[in-house]
Amino acid sequence: MGLSDRLPILEKLVGRLIIALLLLMSLVGCGLIVDGIGLIHPLARNELDVICARGHIRVGMSVEPFQPFVFPAIYTDEGLRVTGLDVELVREISSALSQHCGSNKPIVPTLHLIRFRNLFIELTEGNLDLFVSSISANVPAPGRIGLAYSSPYFDTGGIGGITARPEVAERIGEYVRRSSGKAADANVMTSAFSGLTVAVQEGTSAQIYAEANLTGIKLVLCDSLPAAFESQDPPIDLILGKLPVLDYTIRRVRKDWQLLRLDSGKPLVMTREQYAIVTDEENYRLGRFLNELLFRLDESGRLDDMRRRWLEENYAYPRRAATEGLPFAAEKMPQHYDQGQCRMADNRSR
Amino acid sequence: MKQVWCASMVGILATFAIAALITSTSWAVDRAEAEETARLLAKLLKAGRLVIEQNQQLIDDQHKGDKGFTPEVFEQQLVQEFRQQTSIDLAKLQSTPASITVPPMAKELLPAFLLASKEVVRDAQVVINQRGIGYKNFIPATYGSQAAARFSKQSHVRLKQTTLGPRNPKNEPDDYESSVLKWLSGRPKADAYVSELTDQGQTLRVVMPIYYVPACLTCHGEPKGDLDISGYPKEGHREGDLAGAITVTAPLTQP
Repeated sequence: MGLSDRLPILEKLVGRLIIALLLLMSLVGCGLIVDGIGLIHPLARNELDVICARGHIRVGMSVEPFQPFVFPAIYTDEGLRVTGLDVELVREISSALSQHCGSNKPIVPTLHLIRFRNLFIELTEGNLDLFVSSISANVPAPGRIGLAYSSPYFDTGGIGGITARPEVAERIGEYVRRSSGKAADANVMTSAFSGLTVAVQEGTSAQIYAEANLTGIKLVLCDSLPAAFESQDPPIDLILGKLPVLDYTIRRVRKDWQLLRLDSGKPLVMTREQYAIVTDEENYRLGRFLNELLFRLDESGRLDDMRRRWLEENYAYPRRAATEGLPFAAEKMPQHYDQGQCRMADNRSR
Repeated sequence: MKQVWCASMVGILATFAIAALITSTSWAVDRAEAEETARLLAKLLKAGRLVIEQNQQLIDDQHKGDKGFTPEVFEQQLVQEFRQQTSIDLAKLQSTPASITVPPMAKELLPAFLLASKEVVRDAQVVINQRGIGYKNFIPATYGSQAAARFSKQSHVRLKQTTLGPRNPKNEPDDYESSVLKWLSGRPKADAYVSELTDQGQTLRVVMPIYYVPACLTCHGEPKGDLDISGYPKEGHREGDLAGAITVTAPLTQP
């Protein structure tokens, strides 16, 4: 075929290119450029397609335990496993994705057990599709730009406190009693906690709450809840954290600590929290997919069952880890997980 | 019942002799080799469990990060323990003196099991070396299950831990194992094992009982029903009670 034969084909191609460019230009400014590309190149893939093609979903989870949402990684008859309410939720997500993708091969979750503070970084760097670890969705915080939170899968969370010193519990109870006696008003808490050494896990909503509301305390930042329990220097008067996690821990593991309670016997809740799945805010298709799944799980009563079986039932978590836990990518786990240390947030009382 | 109750080494020799008398010579050699190999494999698994048990406090030390319980350290201790129990040095298996009988099949399979065990300990490092987490569920039973499973996947010989009413449903005994375990539970503790041909003589099954020692009773002892460290209800066992068995299934014909 000579050059003269090719010219009409080239002319046609150039013509089509100009039309496509004009179409594109007409879309610029009306916010439809992305959809426009999708129309011209229908094979452009979204994050759900990418997960389907990949055959696995990259899920981040905190290596520091938040039981009963995330239990410590343990060894089982099946090998290394992690379990908890959040792990069961990940199973549901994988199962729903398998259905969505329609392939014969199920979508497998690849768990990245990493430090809590690194979950946010890994997601924004594109190394995770999502993460779960009883993350509070309704706590505005700096440094969390670009993240999206799903509908809550657990809406009765909150910030609570525990102490190993009965006189601390009594003192706080007295302050609450003298106010309304019904709730934990931030001003009352400020007075009640004044002068106390209060530990929180760094990066969690408890730290954000304490920094925002509790002046007059000596704030101690810990790498994990176990580190807060072990801290001797400085000795801790009070630990603030996720109420369901603290409640579970003192009932099963650290029975020498007690939950701060109102006179009615109900736990003292400093603020309410809802736990959600975190995704990249640009992955709105995945976000919609998760919300739809959570809606169905809620409507069917499945979410309630999950909450009940992890928070209320008596069970051996190693057994659940063996039968329903998930393996994790050991190479992603910090080589030697360390509960870490505690340190003063600054040199003065807040 | 075809079961042959062998009393330690004397029993084994007796079994070999009986087998040699009632079957053809070549058949007897096959069975003898398979049986001795099975016995040694079960012994090696048992020794591995013992090494884990001896290091349990270290593994569960929540105040220590890197425990130094590496696959190499485990191997060294296992080799030593096995040598103490059998006089066989796994490090010098090919040059074992003629006075100690190690069948060719065992010379091939014992190192394979040692390797599988080391891999288990290597994989468990991320869990073992956690600081701030006490109980990690890396115990003789979980080590044994994984080591046996890994070994069995790569070998024609199947190794398994089992017991009546196991905590892990996957360790449920099959009909044969169940009948032997019931039979063993009615007998006093003995350093012995059961050996039997099944599948019209095509498969050799060896069942080596395990008995509770004081270290096991922290989780499996009394008071019955109380939750142990892992949250399982204690079974209320006493020292010397039958804990279960290590079973070996070896085909006598090439698979």
